[in-house]
Amino acid sequence: MIVAHINPGSRMSPVAANTGANDTDDVRAAMAGDRRAFERLYRLHVGRVHGAVYRLAGYDRARAEDLTQEAFIRAWQKLPGFRHESAFGTWLYRLAVNLALMDIRARGADPVSMLDDEHLPDTGQTPFCAAEREELERAIGRLPPRARAVLVLHDIEGWRHEQIGSEMGMATGTSKAQLHRARGLLRKILGPAAPGVPA
Amino acid sequence: MNEFEWRRQLRNLRQPLRPQRDLWTSIDAALADVAPASTRSSDPSLPRRRPEHWRRWLLGASLAASALLVAGMGRRLLHPPAGLPVIVSTSPAMPAWKPTDPRLAGAAIELDAARMELQQAIRQAPDSAALQRLLARTERQQAQLRQSANSAG
Repeated sequence: MIVAHINPGSRMSPVAANTGANDTDDVRAAMAGDRRAFERLYRLHVGRVHGAVYRLAGYDRARAEDLTQEAFIRAWQKLPGFRHESAFGTWLYRLAVNLALMDIRARGADPVSMLDDEHLPDTGQTPFCAAEREELERAIGRLPPRARAVLVLHDIEGWRHEQIGSEMGMATGTSKAQLHRARGLLRKILGPAAPGVPA
Repeated sequence: MNEFEWRRQLRNLRQPLRPQRDLWTSIDAALADVAPASTRSSDPSLPRRRPEHWRRWLLGASLAASALLVAGMGRRLLHPPAGLPVIVSTSPAMPAWKPTDPRLAGAAIELDAARMELQQAIRQAPDSAALQRLLARTERQQAQLRQSANSAG
């Protein structure tokens, strides 16, 4: 059993995300009610789950922690339904993403975090600027929740529009439109490119 | 930065991130309040009933119900006199068949009975186009059921 010992709040290497190969015994033990085994699964997978949820929650740490916690509780409840058709980590990740998407739906248009086209200066076809990671994350966090969810799932998590549409209950075309809108909003938030930066 | 680099930068955001505080204590406390997984779980190594089985059962039940309805309508249309000898026959093209799945077997028996009743009715009214259509429909439903059973393995 591999247990990742990384300080809370720290970023993990991408390799640590692919940790599903050695958790089979713990999954079976957890399905039989072994909470220690489930704790090991938590330690193993919390980075991937929390990372995705954190991005979907617009980089809101408190909300992301609540969602991560809820995801693991639901995973425990739903473990009997896990059929080993996919890796446990993948199953858990999808469950957490669904939970985050449900949270977005439940909150609807949140006026605090909502940022819409009319609140931004129209800069036309502004090229992307070279944003630092933190700047980029802040900008993504300012996007409207649904547009942000589509951008996070497509451009960051690598989902296809068909998957996004299915999970979010929208047509594939709507997902594409939301992505286009999200990218346009990001362009506006990040501002014009610095001189010499290619468009 | 061109768009390719931009997308690469976005993709680089996809990194695992552990929460700032250890959530396990809260999760563990919550797990004590929810039903443990084992109380609703059987041996995970055993195959579970798949949702497709439930759909197949529904299909079989709906086919049987519609066949019974059709057969009942056919008999009522003809008003057969009481005391007629019961003719039991099966079409050579559609021999009696019983699937191994007990849930489908019930539907197969009902459909077969409906088909035989329609055949009896047709012997009394061989010119009835409606009965012929009903019989053809019932046999199609039997074929669908057989196909479902075959695809289920």
